[in-house]
Amino acid sequence: MAPALLGIVPFGFVAGVAAVAAGLTPAQGIALSLLSFSGIAQLVATQLIAAHSPVLLTMAACAVVSLRFLMYSASLAPHLAHLDRRWRVLLAYLMTDQSYAASMNRYSRPGDTAFRHWHFLGAALTLYVFWQASVVAGVLAGTQVPASWSLDFAVTLTFIALLVPAVRTRVDLAVAIVAAAIAMAASGLPYRLALVVASVGGIAAGVALEKRVRS
Amino acid sequence: MSTWIAIGGVALATFAMRASFIVFVDPHRFPAWFREALQFVPPAVLAAIVAPDLLMPGGRLDVSPTNLRLVAGLMAIVASLHVRGTVAAIVAGMASLWALQWAVAALA
Repeated sequence: MAPALLGIVPFGFVAGVAAVAAGLTPAQGIALSLLSFSGIAQLVATQLIAAHSPVLLTMAACAVVSLRFLMYSASLAPHLAHLDRRWRVLLAYLMTDQSYAASMNRYSRPGDTAFRHWHFLGAALTLYVFWQASVVAGVLAGTQVPASWSLDFAVTLTFIALLVPAVRTRVDLAVAIVAAAIAMAASGLPYRLALVVASVGGIAAGVALEKRVRS
Repeated sequence: MSTWIAIGGVALATFAMRASFIVFVDPHRFPAWFREALQFVPPAVLAAIVAPDLLMPGGRLDVSPTNLRLVAGLMAIVASLHVRGTVAAIVAGMASLWALQWAVAALA
């Protein structure tokens, strides 16, 4: 858990700085973070709100960058099915890349399963508190952080740390290359549509390749 | 006002993704191809985010060694192959970028 905390602090800080730099009020920047609790969704939303994009487009772009939560949700669902609805809503709301990784690590180990949701809750709440504190610090620092520090690069690095272990097979590698190529070729599209097109294209390539590998 | 509506919309969109299978539907009610497609979501989305940051830092494709973010990003990828977790990538990447920026400034 401690390493995950160290990783989210600069990311949260950058998300807070970006919100204020894009013209959101401090209250809006903090509300966005409290409600969506997702660094990349916050950054994408911030950019699109600053560009006065239509609300539905902003929602769609944030949904696409949050597609990985759909996968995490599917893989955690069997482990959480025995809990009542309030627990499942709470844990779903608090789920992040880091808490998913921590809880799957725990769920894949043998042993008593009755109290594992408490472990998940503890990890997720700790991350939540550290994340929100980092965002608030970023919002307060606002535009005073010098650009020469290149703090925004910490966000890219956070995603590199998630991407590398996500590429486990050759098909995964092909998916990543296809998505990367489309993202760059389509970079001229407005409203971060390149990200949407590239994600869908990469996933489609993966499904097609997987069929070929099997047949 | 429209900003607040957008914030609410983003909150709904992210929660819908997280809650999808945990709260609302059983993943086994979806066809096999759909569940298969889900496994490709992380490499696709993450690569689509990372690649332009590293290869097009100024908005244009730049694969030269003067693209400091590309060099620093490659260092972070190498670090991530050996050590799991965000800290290794952040330390390797930021240290590389700052060192390169310092070296470029010192040489200029």
